[in-house]
Amino acid sequence: MDFAQNTLDGLTSGAAYALLAVGFTLIFGTLRRANLAYGACILFGVYIATWVAQRSDAGLATLALVAVAACVLAGAYVERLCFAPHRERRGNQVASGAGIAAMVASFALWMQFEEAATLLLPRHMYAFPALYEGAPLALGPLSLRVEAIVLFAATACLLAVLWLVLQRSRFGVAVRALIDDPLAAGLCGIPVARVFALVFALASAIGGIAGFLVVAAHGQVTPHLGMWATLKGMLAMMIGGLGSLPGAVLGGFLLGLLESHSQWYLGPQSRDLIAYLLLFTLLALRPGGLASWMTRWTSTRSAS
Amino acid sequence: MDEYTIGVLTNIGLFSFIALSAYLLLLAGELSFGQQAFFGIGAYVGGIGTALLGWPLPLAALAAMAAGAAAQTLVGLPTLRLRGLYFAMATLAAAEMIRIVLELIHFQRVVDGALVGPDGTQGFRGIRWIFEHGIEPAAFLALVWSLLACVVLLLAWIERSRLGAVVRMVGEDPELAAVLGIDVGRLKLGVAAVAGALAALGGVLFAHVNTYVEPRNFDIMLGVHSLAYALIGGLGTVFGPLLGVALDIGALESTRLFHGYRMIVFGGVVALILVWRPRGLLDERAVDWLGRRLWRRTP
Amino acid sequence: MKRFIAFALFAGLALPAQAAHPEAKVDCKAAGDKYVYDCMIRLSQDGKPLTGVEVTVGADMPTMPMAHSVKPAKAKPGKDPGMYHVRIELEMHGEWALKLQLSGAVRDLIVVKQQFGDEGSGHAGQKMQMK
Repeated sequence: MDFAQNTLDGLTSGAAYALLAVGFTLIFGTLRRANLAYGACILFGVYIATWVAQRSDAGLATLALVAVAACVLAGAYVERLCFAPHRERRGNQVASGAGIAAMVASFALWMQFEEAATLLLPRHMYAFPALYEGAPLALGPLSLRVEAIVLFAATACLLAVLWLVLQRSRFGVAVRALIDDPLAAGLCGIPVARVFALVFALASAIGGIAGFLVVAAHGQVTPHLGMWATLKGMLAMMIGGLGSLPGAVLGGFLLGLLESHSQWYLGPQSRDLIAYLLLFTLLALRPGGLASWMTRWTSTRSAS
Repeated sequence: MDEYTIGVLTNIGLFSFIALSAYLLLLAGELSFGQQAFFGIGAYVGGIGTALLGWPLPLAALAAMAAGAAAQTLVGLPTLRLRGLYFAMATLAAAEMIRIVLELIHFQRVVDGALVGPDGTQGFRGIRWIFEHGIEPAAFLALVWSLLACVVLLLAWIERSRLGAVVRMVGEDPELAAVLGIDVGRLKLGVAAVAGALAALGGVLFAHVNTYVEPRNFDIMLGVHSLAYALIGGLGTVFGPLLGVALDIGALESTRLFHGYRMIVFGGVVALILVWRPRGLLDERAVDWLGRRLWRRTP
Repeated sequence: MKRFIAFALFAGLALPAQAAHPEAKVDCKAAGDKYVYDCMIRLSQDGKPLTGVEVTVGADMPTMPMAHSVKPAKAKPGKDPGMYHVRIELEMHGEWALKLQLSGAVRDLIVVKQQFGDEGSGHAGQKMQMK
């Protein structure tokens, strides 16, 4: 039964990781750059929401909107300063001069957001209005927190909406074209700069929702959120296979499951050790990640 | 010189070692988020050398450098094929694994009446070689900077040689380099070994000036910061990383110019500088321009 | 037996070293201004209060070891032997590693970790994990 309980817990944390990984992948898939400030934007959004929560009686829905809006604003700032100026016309090199510069610049903005957040709310932990203030449900011998159900449902809805947007809208077609081949997409008349900016906003919005759900489910906010979101999101993204959205979702859930099971059997430090070991082994043996094992739906071009 | 200035200058020196190690890898075209782990390995191996095994500092430092070089080569071997973000994430994963392993090591012995040695997350206390040998802070500062000067001179000399050109070529375009007959894999591993040794040297010095290290000292923040310093200072010359470190730790932090807002200011400065100069302040173009200015009069 | 040999080797190789290491206990209270704390330090060596040393107190954060330059402050001797007090200004709340530089009768460096919050300092706890 422990196994089932751990699996349930793993799926819950996996849902959050999946959302984070999707946000990272949207940016990486289109821009071919890793946005190291992504977790920090989420931190910023959540902190603004916490600040608002402290000073008003705003309900959860309002706070969610505030978090998302702040995160999108932060993301727009990052996009303008770090990614728009370093757009490469040729190729998809991440390690080319402009690619490294964009990533390091995004790291610099990560530091900015962290300091701004601690200036705004200096303490190490703040309470956040909880999603649900009751006891966990009992499903037979298993216990399931209501917040977990909400998190899971929200993730599923969000991913479904994202899928619809990507598959059925013109914007979605543009995004998928950009992921496939930025040069060709530009030649086809797709307004590349505008689509990049919108993708950034979309990824930030998803991140904002993910951050909000996580702190609301826990009922507390700490400044570690920035580093946590960045690490887990990138970890899940790489496990799933860089540049693949279905891979990101799978990677997120796999990471969650792996963590909860290894924590149970081996303790909390080994939990992180196993996750990193998995990533390192995957990268050494099969950099394509989970996605390279999936024959359908993956992007045709490798993301290196 | 007052103790504060000595402390700041020592920190600049120590940070320069790890910034230089990130710089070397950047030259070879590799983005490493993991140099902090080799800094940490240097600290622990050096600390064990002097505090637990009673070795003199030079011997411990050599052992630390060897350990750092070996570790970075070991990490470099399976990741040889990787590029760009893949390589970066692999180094990050390896570095975090090493750091977690340091958190799990408990190995203490009673030395001189006190318990000394790595104690997991509680860290490694009692690395007091420089206190036991009466080395003043100013003397240690001189030691750090003379070692740094040797390293910088050596690297500057290599940069002007064929090896330097080959490393930069591998960084710019590995396929072309391979076509020209350069063994890209062996070169990258060589650069990795040197980078690991450099980071470890910084680590062993850091451990001794602080007398206490813990695994948390070597987390991702340290690594990505040193990478940022290397890039912002400039990839055109070995003095670039030093400039980057001096800018943040020297100018901004220590003058307490923007007390409380330093990261916001420095972060903005970094992003703006990178827009203007993606390869740093002292990038190849700037170095070339400076070189032509300085040696204009020479026939 | 092995431990004895190791210890003998160590004792032989090492130059004359200090007999015992000084220890410190630190207790800080918030001093009004933000991030400013008044700290009482109790120094002892071999169980006896340690006098005749000059104590300079600096601080660093464990996670970014060389980057925060808290200006070192000289501690003044207190009423009782072995007691010193100092006012330090940190940059933020959280866990700090205080570095007590001793000079004079004894030269040493003692590192004491403390968690600093609104009221003062407490014993440093484990790092919080997000999940």
